[in-house]
Amino acid sequence: MADKKLKQKRRRPDPTSDDESELPFKNILKPDQAILETLKQLFLAATTTTTAAANGASTSSSSSKPLTLSDLSLSATCREVTDLSLSAVQSTIETLILQIARSILAGNGFSFQVPSRASSNQLYVPELDRIVLKDKTTLRPFASLSTVRKSTITVKILSLIHQLCLRNIHVTKRDLFYTDVKLFQDQTQSDAVLDDVACILGCTRSSLNVIAAEKGVVVGRLIFSDNGDMIDCTKMGMGGKAIPPNIDRVGDMQSDAMFILLVEKDAAYIRLAEDRFYNRFPCIIVTAKGQPDVATRLFLRKMKMELKLPVLALVDSDPYGLKILSVYGCGSKNMSYDSANLTTPDIKWLGIRPSDLDKYKIPEQCRLPMTEQDIKTGKDLLEEDFVKKNPGWVEELNLMVKTKQKAEIQALSSFGFQYLSEVYLPLKLQQKDWL
Amino acid sequence: MPIGAVELPSRGHWAPSFAIPRGRSSPSPITKTKSPAEFFAENKNIAGFDNPGKSLYTTVRELVENSLDSAESISELPVVEITIEEIGKSKFNSMIGLVDRERVDTKLYDDYETEKARERRLAKEARAQELQAKNAALGKKVKEPSATKGAKGRGEASFYRVTCKDNGKGMPHDDIPNMFGRVLSGTKYGLKQTRGKFGLGAKMALIWSKMSTGLPIEISSSMRSHNFISFCKLDIDIHRNIPHVHLHEKRENKDRWHGAEIQVVIEGNWTTYRSKILHYMRQMAVITPYAQFLFKFVSEVAEKNVTIRFSRRTDVMPPVPVETKHHPSSVDLLLIKGLIAETSKGTLLQFLQHEFVNIGKSLAERLIGEMGPEFSPKMAVKSLTSQQIVRIHQLFRQAKFDDPSGGCLSPAGEYNLRLGIIKELHPDMVATYSGSAQVFEGHPFIVEAGVSVGGKDVKQGLNIFRFANRIPLLFEQGGDVVTRTAMKRINWSSYKINQTQDKIGVFVSIVSTKIPFKGTGKEYIGDDTKEIASAVKVRHCPLVLKFFVTNLTSKLTTSFLQSAIQQCCIQLKSKIVRKIQDREQQERKRNLSRYVPDATYAVYDVLKEISKFHASKKRRYEEEEEDVLRKVQSRSITKETLKEMLAQYVEKVDYEMALEYATQSGVNEEPREAIYIQALEDGYNFTDLHSSNFVFRFIQ
Repeated sequence: MADKKLKQKRRRPDPTSDDESELPFKNILKPDQAILETLKQLFLAATTTTTAAANGASTSSSSSKPLTLSDLSLSATCREVTDLSLSAVQSTIETLILQIARSILAGNGFSFQVPSRASSNQLYVPELDRIVLKDKTTLRPFASLSTVRKSTITVKILSLIHQLCLRNIHVTKRDLFYTDVKLFQDQTQSDAVLDDVACILGCTRSSLNVIAAEKGVVVGRLIFSDNGDMIDCTKMGMGGKAIPPNIDRVGDMQSDAMFILLVEKDAAYIRLAEDRFYNRFPCIIVTAKGQPDVATRLFLRKMKMELKLPVLALVDSDPYGLKILSVYGCGSKNMSYDSANLTTPDIKWLGIRPSDLDKYKIPEQCRLPMTEQDIKTGKDLLEEDFVKKNPGWVEELNLMVKTKQKAEIQALSSFGFQYLSEVYLPLKLQQKDWL
Repeated sequence: MPIGAVELPSRGHWAPSFAIPRGRSSPSPITKTKSPAEFFAENKNIAGFDNPGKSLYTTVRELVENSLDSAESISELPVVEITIEEIGKSKFNSMIGLVDRERVDTKLYDDYETEKARERRLAKEARAQELQAKNAALGKKVKEPSATKGAKGRGEASFYRVTCKDNGKGMPHDDIPNMFGRVLSGTKYGLKQTRGKFGLGAKMALIWSKMSTGLPIEISSSMRSHNFISFCKLDIDIHRNIPHVHLHEKRENKDRWHGAEIQVVIEGNWTTYRSKILHYMRQMAVITPYAQFLFKFVSEVAEKNVTIRFSRRTDVMPPVPVETKHHPSSVDLLLIKGLIAETSKGTLLQFLQHEFVNIGKSLAERLIGEMGPEFSPKMAVKSLTSQQIVRIHQLFRQAKFDDPSGGCLSPAGEYNLRLGIIKELHPDMVATYSGSAQVFEGHPFIVEAGVSVGGKDVKQGLNIFRFANRIPLLFEQGGDVVTRTAMKRINWSSYKINQTQDKIGVFVSIVSTKIPFKGTGKEYIGDDTKEIASAVKVRHCPLVLKFFVTNLTSKLTTSFLQSAIQQCCIQLKSKIVRKIQDREQQERKRNLSRYVPDATYAVYDVLKEISKFHASKKRRYEEEEEDVLRKVQSRSITKETLKEMLAQYVEKVDYEMALEYATQSGVNEEPREAIYIQALEDGYNFTDLHSSNFVFRFIQ
């Protein structure tokens, strides 16, 4: 389809125009103005649909949110958590602890009802386009060998969170772990119980005042306030601004960007940031360097909701790339209890898609054969509802599993390091080649 | 010599003449005929004589396996004594009549120490001594200074006298020189599961001794019927491939001993192959629990001496493997030709019917009909042309035959394998499994497996013991199908076995008329000249063996292997689960109580905080909660109260659970195992104390 496009001379003021022949497809690039036009359409479409939806919602009901779990009459009851204020968290913990204390004093030991976060207790709701948690719970009694450790850790974490509430401070997960290394043994255990506690209390993890270390970064046409300081993300140097772990202190987002570019990997992010891609095509570039953490997901959602920008994703052409995409879009199974706050609807898969490998003639030596594990993951993904709902994705994934080839974003570097920012992305945008 | 170009046949059709051109690129008209002995002398690595260390190892195992075969062939419980005696250089020199010479020109030698090196060494030694003195003064445990590694230069070869004595069949007096002194002079072999027959092994040891020490081999032998011992001292004329007899005489046989004793002096390396040799002996003891081994290493340095006795654990011996005829689907062209040359049958029909298994008369007739018009049942089999033989071969490949039975095989037996494992490893648990006979390419095979957990002298993780036709395989474990199966294809954790923490023993024994070894042309050395085309031997597959790795065979056998190991694991799982439950029962209270303080302190901390704020009446609580908070405030409820209550609760729960467990599981006893008491040898006087039910018998 690329060849059918009208060929036009490039008129971009660029000293490298004489090496056109070296970069494939460069000659079919339209001038930036034309690409910007297409982007504007995308931008307008995104804002109008959201506002329309918002208007529609506001006319039908008073809530401004498009759709919530309670609006659907699902057969299985689902569990969702909400943001709770500190005092609410505190009083919930107190009630729980008092219950436990009374149970102990009555000579009955104690136990917790913990919502199960196993995959059997997850449900993909197509109407919401995200994973939610069903209402199954498991009993966590103290008087059982298999759960004694976990129930003790749960009490301990509850008591620690209670302290945080009293003092009104934030700590990191790592801090929490170091309060009793002997009991927790390793951080994964205290982290897992922390999510359990959020489920038990029915609040989001951020309302527990426990944050994760900064992982995600953002750069581009965005201005926001972090704890009262105004941040201009165009003036953050090459590395960009670290996404603040406590989203509740972020506000006043402003932007003249036309879209948000979600990048899977640090390497591609650095390339785009250094080339100031966001100045050529006004955008905001975000990466979580691999699997996204809670803060990045919250931040992305906040941007999407407040700025009403379309989100385009640039991930590797392998099952894990798609998986990461799905975590942004539909939520992870581990955090499904809070999927309402963590997911960003309507993310478009820009690249690198399996069909791009041939379309952009990526050389054989840059493609990697998929391992058995990869193929299995790919096939499993095909069974997932959030993939099935998008026929374009199914097609791409089928192609990947069929050709048994994968490629990383870096594969494009075989045409030169800047091919990604100079040719591939502009061309993709020009052709509206997203799913 | 371009041995690389010579494809070693995978079965036993060794080209009878050793006419090998001198050069590949310029074939000279004069070809030198090599004697088989010469051939093997030059290519001793094929037989496992790569280096002195390995040669020592191979010599030991060849002799041991010969002994076992010999004893089993006359259904005698084997008793094998093997002694390795280290011979120092001066002793060796005196043995061969060489005068020990002192070094005069010290700089001539490789291990000459220059002035500087000497200074450095002395300084280092002084430092070490100082450190040691310091440590000793501080009362630290001082590790004995490791014996200074003797300057073992390359020139310092070690020599060993290897003696192996058995209670086997012995050898006919007149045959002894030829049995040892002529390579490839074996008798005719049929198709049979074999550990090895009296063949190349001992001869290779002889060739190696000739090459490294020049000393002759000494053989004593006596057969059951004989009243004398044959003694023979001989070496081999490598170029002419004939024995060179020094002494051949009959001696008195006072003890009515029968068997063979072979003594050979070779160059070797005990230090590097010590563990291999000991492993070999141990594994041999596992797979042959009905044999008794006495292994001795004798050295001039007393602390290096090793004596290990592997005692007999059972009287039950596996049956002697039966010789069987070839299965039509397993033969190749050369083999058919060989069989035709040998057969005593006249007609084609008779030939097909009698020289192969699973071909009856009617099938033979149908086969001949299918071969074509130029074949007839009555035609003389020796008159078949080469093309006709090819046709027969093709038909054999395509036609469907019944599978050969495993009746000709002699597996170690589940019972013996189990006893062997128990005897040598003393595991906590053991499970064994014996598969039924399976067939691959016309050769029957049986897979037996054992899995043990725990034990003495077993390292953590997987310990793999491989046996092929009842001999241990020690080398190239990594590529072996058993290793791969155990590591990759068995999900140990699903059987409650921890692959890295538990001491797991995996034992796999495969017996077959053909073990699909894989290796680099080193698998097999033909053992016969021309009469035979089919000796399927295992033992002469020298030790560099890879054991079916990637070919078809592996796929087929792997599944049997995997299921065999899994069967064992399933048996073990129930035992392990029970054991874990037992342990949980015992440790439950302790494990639960351990968490009582942590849990109660955490609860109490929160309570205390609440009660503080409660004083300021910020929040309303229910009456009972109020009550608790008041008590916390007035310190009538403290940390200790909570702790006590929870501890009481744990005690209660523990009691209830123990009761429930006891009622559920009942009193169960481990199945009893028969013990084996070794028979006393003759020559004791007893005092008997008789009672109505039993007799006490005391050795005087």
